Amino acid sequence: MFSKQKPMWGEKTQLKSSYDAVIIGGGLHGLATAYYLAKEHGITDVAIIEKNYIGFGGAGRNTAIVRANQRTQYNVPLYNEALKLWPILTKELDYNLMFNNCGNLNLMHSEAAMKAARMTIATAQFHGVESHLIDAKEAKELVPALNISEDITFPIHGAMFHPPGGIVRHDAVVWGLARGANKYGVEIHQQTEATGIKTQNGKVTAVETSRGTINTKQVLISAGGYSAALIYGMLGIKLPISVLTIQAMVTQPLKPLLNHVVSSGAYHCYANQTLKGEVATGAHMDQWPNYTTQNTAHYIKHQAEALSEFLPCLRGVKFMRIWGGLADMTPDMAPIMDGNDHVEGFYMDCGWGYFGFKSCSAVGKYMAQFMAEKECPEILKPFNYRRYEKHQLMGETAALVNYTPDN
Amino acid sequence: MMTRFNQLPTLKIDPTKKVIFNYKGKTYSGVEGDTIASALYANGVRIYARSLKYHRPRGLYSLDGECSNTMMEVDGIPNVRTENTLLKQGMTVKEQNVKGSAEKDMLGFLDKLDWAMPAGFYYKMMHKPARIWPIAMKQIRKTAGLGEISPDFEMPGKFDEIFPRTDVVVIGGGPAGMTAALAAAEKGLRVIIMESRPWLGGFFDYRTAEYKDGVALYQRGQDLAQQVEANENIRVLKHTAMVGAYSNCLVTGFQTGTDKDAFNERYVEIRANSVIVATGCIERPLIFDNNERPGVMQVGCALRMARNYGILPGENGIFSVGHDLGLEAAIDLFDMGMKIGCVADVREDGQDPELVLALAKRNILLLKGWVATEAHGKKQVNKVSMSSIDGMITRDFDCDVLVASAGLTPVTGPLTMAQIKLRHDDFTGFFVADEMPENTFSAGRILGINNALSIECSGTLAGIKAAKACGACDAAEVEAAEAAMKALPGPVRGSKLVTAPVKGRKSFICFDEDTTIKSVKQTIDSGFDVPELVKRYSSAGLGPGQSGIPGHNLPLYVAKYQALAGVPVKPTTVRAPIVPTFIATYAGTNHTMHKRTPIHNLQVADKGILRKIGVWERVRYFSEDYSCKKEIENVRNNVGMLDGSTLGKFRLHGPDALKALQRIYVSDMSKLKPGRVKYSAMCNDDGCVIDDGVVVMLGENDYYITTSTGRAGQTVEWFRYHTRYDGWDFSMVNITDSMGVINLSGPNARKVFEKITDEDVSNEAFPYSGFKEMLFKDVIPAKVMRLGFVGELSYEFHVASSYMTSLWQLLKEAGAEFGIQNFGVEAQNVLRMEKCHIILGQESEQRTNLLDVGLGFLWDRKKADAKTVGAVALRQAENDPSRFKLVGFKMENNGRAPRDGALVVDSKVRGYIATARDSFSLNEAVGMALVESELAKVGTRLEIYEDECGDERIYGKVVPMPFYDPDGTRMKS
Repeated sequence: MFSKQKPMWGEKTQLKSSYDAVIIGGGLHGLATAYYLAKEHGITDVAIIEKNYIGFGGAGRNTAIVRANQRTQYNVPLYNEALKLWPILTKELDYNLMFNNCGNLNLMHSEAAMKAARMTIATAQFHGVESHLIDAKEAKELVPALNISEDITFPIHGAMFHPPGGIVRHDAVVWGLARGANKYGVEIHQQTEATGIKTQNGKVTAVETSRGTINTKQVLISAGGYSAALIYGMLGIKLPISVLTIQAMVTQPLKPLLNHVVSSGAYHCYANQTLKGEVATGAHMDQWPNYTTQNTAHYIKHQAEALSEFLPCLRGVKFMRIWGGLADMTPDMAPIMDGNDHVEGFYMDCGWGYFGFKSCSAVGKYMAQFMAEKECPEILKPFNYRRYEKHQLMGETAALVNYTPDN
Repeated sequence: MMTRFNQLPTLKIDPTKKVIFNYKGKTYSGVEGDTIASALYANGVRIYARSLKYHRPRGLYSLDGECSNTMMEVDGIPNVRTENTLLKQGMTVKEQNVKGSAEKDMLGFLDKLDWAMPAGFYYKMMHKPARIWPIAMKQIRKTAGLGEISPDFEMPGKFDEIFPRTDVVVIGGGPAGMTAALAAAEKGLRVIIMESRPWLGGFFDYRTAEYKDGVALYQRGQDLAQQVEANENIRVLKHTAMVGAYSNCLVTGFQTGTDKDAFNERYVEIRANSVIVATGCIERPLIFDNNERPGVMQVGCALRMARNYGILPGENGIFSVGHDLGLEAAIDLFDMGMKIGCVADVREDGQDPELVLALAKRNILLLKGWVATEAHGKKQVNKVSMSSIDGMITRDFDCDVLVASAGLTPVTGPLTMAQIKLRHDDFTGFFVADEMPENTFSAGRILGINNALSIECSGTLAGIKAAKACGACDAAEVEAAEAAMKALPGPVRGSKLVTAPVKGRKSFICFDEDTTIKSVKQTIDSGFDVPELVKRYSSAGLGPGQSGIPGHNLPLYVAKYQALAGVPVKPTTVRAPIVPTFIATYAGTNHTMHKRTPIHNLQVADKGILRKIGVWERVRYFSEDYSCKKEIENVRNNVGMLDGSTLGKFRLHGPDALKALQRIYVSDMSKLKPGRVKYSAMCNDDGCVIDDGVVVMLGENDYYITTSTGRAGQTVEWFRYHTRYDGWDFSMVNITDSMGVINLSGPNARKVFEKITDEDVSNEAFPYSGFKEMLFKDVIPAKVMRLGFVGELSYEFHVASSYMTSLWQLLKEAGAEFGIQNFGVEAQNVLRMEKCHIILGQESEQRTNLLDVGLGFLWDRKKADAKTVGAVALRQAENDPSRFKLVGFKMENNGRAPRDGALVVDSKVRGYIATARDSFSLNEAVGMALVESELAKVGTRLEIYEDECGDERIYGKVVPMPFYDPDGTRMKS
């Protein structure tokens, strides 16, 4: 490591005229899929086509929080596997992904929320995932900065404590996977825009890019918030996805203060301390679909109001930076992973909303299996997009969502 | 303590007024007007802090808070930028991020280990073997972070917020900002001017050079400031840092209060019709070895220390600059008593000849085309190596202060935050905006101009343009101002130098993150070729100085190092808040904003225990017994009353009102009859139940409807959205807040009712599902419905909010002899559960449809013409066996009720408990659960899995619903 640095994911190469598989989107899901395609299935002739640079989108803008306390039995095992992959990937990639296994504390502010938490906790425990319902005092013992008095807008009734979760350094995952995939021969083409997918007799034949046409029989679109628009634009498949801007921010760096990820549904706020010492916080989404990633004055103020109440010592800390990313929300807050349906050789992995980071490792593994074997792995089957045609929502969220007026 | 100038006309301090403070446990004194850092400097402090990674000594550098060099802990608050925080009596100031002291830091040795910490080193180590990572991580966390805050810290002070509306907001109170404000105000517009320093004047304020006709720049600055302050149309917000700029001319900032203000800091959010950005320039740091050693400071810092704070920053100065301001400062500081060994100017030519002459007159050596390459001195600079730009010739000079600056860089943050695209201009070396949005203008040095008259004129021009944008003047006036501008000197050539000729191992491009030129090279070599990625990998610009130091140099350097022809120099992203802002300040007054019902106070007086439920504050319990036994029993045995005012209430009228109802509700609303209440539900396109409530017909084409509390806010939009293409003629009014509701329930309800009215309210005259409009006591008009949500004889009174108090008291008095008591939301929850009346969100979730919860009977499938929302999905779902069903259950062996949210399982999850309670009315545990349809048959055994149950299971059995009063005699008679 002390010798002259080499490009981590290879020298810039010419785009070839054909690949065994093309992945549109150089984010975490695309990189992870490419990595596993090459590593597990020997499919190394893969090109990742990225319009900007790898990690430009959600991969570089997310909360970095990982956890496996989802609501339904379809989601828990997938996220649990993803969680278990962090230490394995760290080793495999020989890159420190900086998994801080600090545990997540999800605050509950009403009797109804406690009930909801109990169901999630029971589901986790039933699947062997550690998660507990604790009371306000126990929560305070874990996070001494919490205000558990009655005189705040949403007094803390208790919390869902999920020790296996934590934080992973998101940029490290991007770079580590890129390097890992490249080692097996995957090519990463940045500053290259995919402009179309060619099909013939219901089969994928090529991908058009800003740098020429690539012949391929298999293509995956996993372009985060941009996926739904790409899929519709290229193949006319309309997905029930609303894209919203979601914002996050950090404070100036502090010595250790928060030893767990803290989040609150009622306050629409999570907070965790990065290894650098910044308190990273966010959660709120714009209430109107948009692709802007613009920040709003309203939101940073809202966040300050929320933190002032339940983590009041942070009033003496300063915000340093706010940014926005995209969340592609489905009506049931569960993703769409599907392939070989409308068009043979076409795969999609999208609709992750704000869960794309925590799931990326396991999803990459199974999407790679899907593409290699051309059969949907059992664990991904519930996430098919035809469920929306049958009006069978997945129940990952209990409450109604309101991204658009028709929901 | 050093002697300070006390007679300068540019001073911002009052040397006669002492301010006592505590630094590292000892008492020090400064003077009024001092910043913490200037007071410390006057007391001989030179090392203010240690750097993040290498623990290098750091000193005063910019005076405007562009880096973390002078951050300290002040009165328990970490990361305070002491260089622009005013000193106050009794302050306690401490160093941070040091082991020992800033002077003698035991971690100082880390500086020698930089070879072991190349860019991104932490990604490549400490993970092998895996078990060392958790230990390493703890150390990293302790080492990282700058300040420290106690978990029980309570932020003192008062924080306020204002949201002013104005015609023009001017960002920056320098000469351009002031002339802009005056020009716009002259046109009769309301103007707000924001200035981050505690005074107006900008870079005129501390300069003694001539403005015009023998008037010094600082005098001109003071004159303009007086004009601005005296102008009635201008609101001056001094000591107000602009922190955010958004589209549509929204500008945010925060103001620091003075002793006279009622706030310590206040959040300011300005909505303007036009924005003028006159933020001027900061200095572009000069990059050379040890360019951040204490004693190295920027031109403005050195000069302002003397001129504003009366402190000569050193006795022997060396200058290495790239701009005429540097020459001017050298002359002024020389005249104030600083010995100057040499002034190196990176520019080979182009200096103002008068300044060159003035330097010569003072025998100050001017080295054109020279630059500092290394600062010497372990903790403080004592010598500097200079060389020609090409690095060929070198010379050393002794000094105790090195004034260094590569040139200027415009403060473009307000532009980029407002989504304005910037281009790198080769002539000025600035990032400039070619296209500005409507209503946004820039003025002053940000344009690359330097001449005082040009700067003022650009301000006037921007002010007039803003006035035109606001419709306050015509195009001719803009043209005249543009012509005046053209007659004056335009942009000046900027210095091109990015780094001195050094290898860069100790040349810092970002002070906060200890990012050197070398680490940037390593980053680019590793494949990170875009400035934005370089930033992420090398951390440059991600520290508390928020890119103040590397903001301009980083993109220049990245472009230079890659030397790719034709690749434009791209600025890195600037993000709000551009000045770090307290969370307390952003939070402002932080009012709680929950709605209260019209009889809130009466409920509280009756010992109601409140909960925030959605947008409302409601009474959930009326005693500390959260099982609500008494409340429940009283409703079952006597009579209770509940404040139901949070229900959504709407009036829908117009010739096409019925069509709208048919579209939205699943039932056939044409069957509505006067004097009858119809209960129905609304679905979404997936057939999922989103709301339920009642509809009554008040007259022809005139309906009154109720919705659930949580849904009230969206209901009007829901109707509008689903009828948007039909052009139907109907109106809908949300009267949720103007009406209150009292629910009177229990076997004695009629007896109570009869006492407040003379009308016949017998079961025959006012049967179940009946509706009457009545008048109580000749004055209280009420809509009365006979309902039975809790399973008892029950009336719901809807009256105007203003009558709620009277009606409440009326019922309370009338009910006294029948044992009337309040009941709250939780008691209602249990009562209705016993009756198996569902609450949406409790017995349903997002994916639950109308059929799943057993409300299929409401759906009229014959009204196809109505295109009822959700009908298509319901038809599809009818034959879908995979759906959940709502079932009632009782516990085996008279066991306790499972906890809400427990699962129904076998080898997989098969459903979950929606609501379950130990019922006082039935003397057994009952509940409702959502389960897979195979488990929905009466008699099915349910295996229930609760959290923390281990291997234990409890069992229930599906039973018919409802549990209480199955044939409804209590409710209907």
